[in-house]
Amino acid sequence: MVRGVPQAWRLGAMVFIALVALFMLGPLVVVAGASLSASQFIAFPPQGLSLRWYGEVLGSSAYVDAAWVSLQIATGVTLAATFVGGAAAIGLHRWRHAGADILAAAFLSPLVIPTIIYAIGLLMLWSQWFGQVSMLALGLGHTLIAIPYVVRTTLAVLATADPFLEEAARTMGAGPLERLAFVVVPQCLPGLAAGAFFAFNISFDEAVLSLFLRTPTLTTLPVHIYGTLEFSPDPSVAAASTILIGVTVVLMLLIDRILGLGRVASA
Amino acid sequence: MSAVHDRSGNIALLVPGVALLALAFVLPILQMLALSVTGEGAVDRFDKALTDPFYLGVLWRTVRLSLVITLLCALVGFPLAYLIARAGPLLRIVLLIIVVLPLMTSVVVRTFGWMVLLSRGGLVAQVARELGLANRSFSLMHSETAIVLGLSQVLLPFMVLSILGVLTRIDTRLEEAARTMGASFGATLRSVVLPLALPGLVAGSLLCFALSASSFVTPSLLGGSRIQVLAASIYTAVTQTLDWPFAATLAVVLFAGVTLVLAPYMRIAGPRHG
Repeated sequence: MVRGVPQAWRLGAMVFIALVALFMLGPLVVVAGASLSASQFIAFPPQGLSLRWYGEVLGSSAYVDAAWVSLQIATGVTLAATFVGGAAAIGLHRWRHAGADILAAAFLSPLVIPTIIYAIGLLMLWSQWFGQVSMLALGLGHTLIAIPYVVRTTLAVLATADPFLEEAARTMGAGPLERLAFVVVPQCLPGLAAGAFFAFNISFDEAVLSLFLRTPTLTTLPVHIYGTLEFSPDPSVAAASTILIGVTVVLMLLIDRILGLGRVASA
Repeated sequence: MSAVHDRSGNIALLVPGVALLALAFVLPILQMLALSVTGEGAVDRFDKALTDPFYLGVLWRTVRLSLVITLLCALVGFPLAYLIARAGPLLRIVLLIIVVLPLMTSVVVRTFGWMVLLSRGGLVAQVARELGLANRSFSLMHSETAIVLGLSQVLLPFMVLSILGVLTRIDTRLEEAARTMGASFGATLRSVVLPLALPGLVAGSLLCFALSASSFVTPSLLGGSRIQVLAASIYTAVTQTLDWPFAATLAVVLFAGVTLVLAPYMRIAGPRHG
């Protein structure tokens, strides 16, 4: 804290933080609370406490199938985005040229170009060339929007990595591939790991591409939740949503442990 | 550095990413844009999108709501980012969790939370009734207010992180110098911190506006089918009326608007590489 902050400002800041916390976390708390309801209706505070809706979700083939689709896609996306994004970040970091900045901006552009525009473009292109969209199409789309996260976390780690380590390996006779495998990739590992968790989270939670590229058999968990919300939601949708929140919390804690949230946030 | 020796190795590292970006990201977007501009009946479709009273209303609502949401995010985001930048380690991590956890949670789930809060029997209506501010049938669901509340919560993290990126680079000694020379805390914020943070504030606002104008999950669920925004019209055209050419036309209108907003964003935010 900056010293000499007047008492009134401090008090105001505390009230402000409490209100912001309520605004930001309220919707998540409400969902988690509603999932514990014993009644037929979605309500917060929950009416009676029970875990019956979790049993309902785990016993429902629609939810389990959707979760299985999500899990398969997210696993593929994590591998692809980490491999491609990690390699790109190392290449960008080493390439000391004005073009590297432009290329870095291009890799990060899926973060700012609205996903809906990409989604309709991908849907039209895929339908024209390959017909019906498949898991591969959706996985490809998710990979492209997950790559920026891997590029960012890996570049953040490389920025503070010691370049002389690789130099030392070179003077001792290590070839380019050996240096990459035994020096540079281990140096990048925290960034690659954090990027991988981000990629999994992006794919597992994504709704826009998944809604545009849905088919009766290609329905991810967020899409199934969206569909349920449009019609007649019961507390089972709150239980499924809470499971999604739980996955996110675990991934966020892992990223914080590996890289530190502060470093990710200001990267 | 051994950059020269590694040139071919570096290119090999970049090739898969560049190829994927070009073929699976740039190409679909460009082809969709090209098709909607050159295809048969393109003029009629643009005429419908830009002169039909219904779509003009949708367009105006999209712009109006995005402006309100951006303003709200800026008003809350600046003080929040400042607190994160200057807080002690413990408060800092708590505040970061408050910002990042919702950001990482699925938009569908967050919107669902607002549906529970804003429904007729929800907490907001209950409190309003207790305070005597509303009658029994009061509900914010299917209103523009619901969209503004929901999207502000969804987009606030983008604003905070944009401003935070700039604030953490400001030398705190500037603030101390201003205080030593007699400026009050408020005056220091106004005339030292705010001007220095302005690039982050502008970048965050442009990003918020662009993302707000192109969201449809939150507006569709909270606004219902009668209160449509541009992105929701695109989704409806793709999934319900199955008029893909018209959906592409609306997407071009959205893309043009968003590009106008994002061009200065790219210049300000730029790649902060290394």
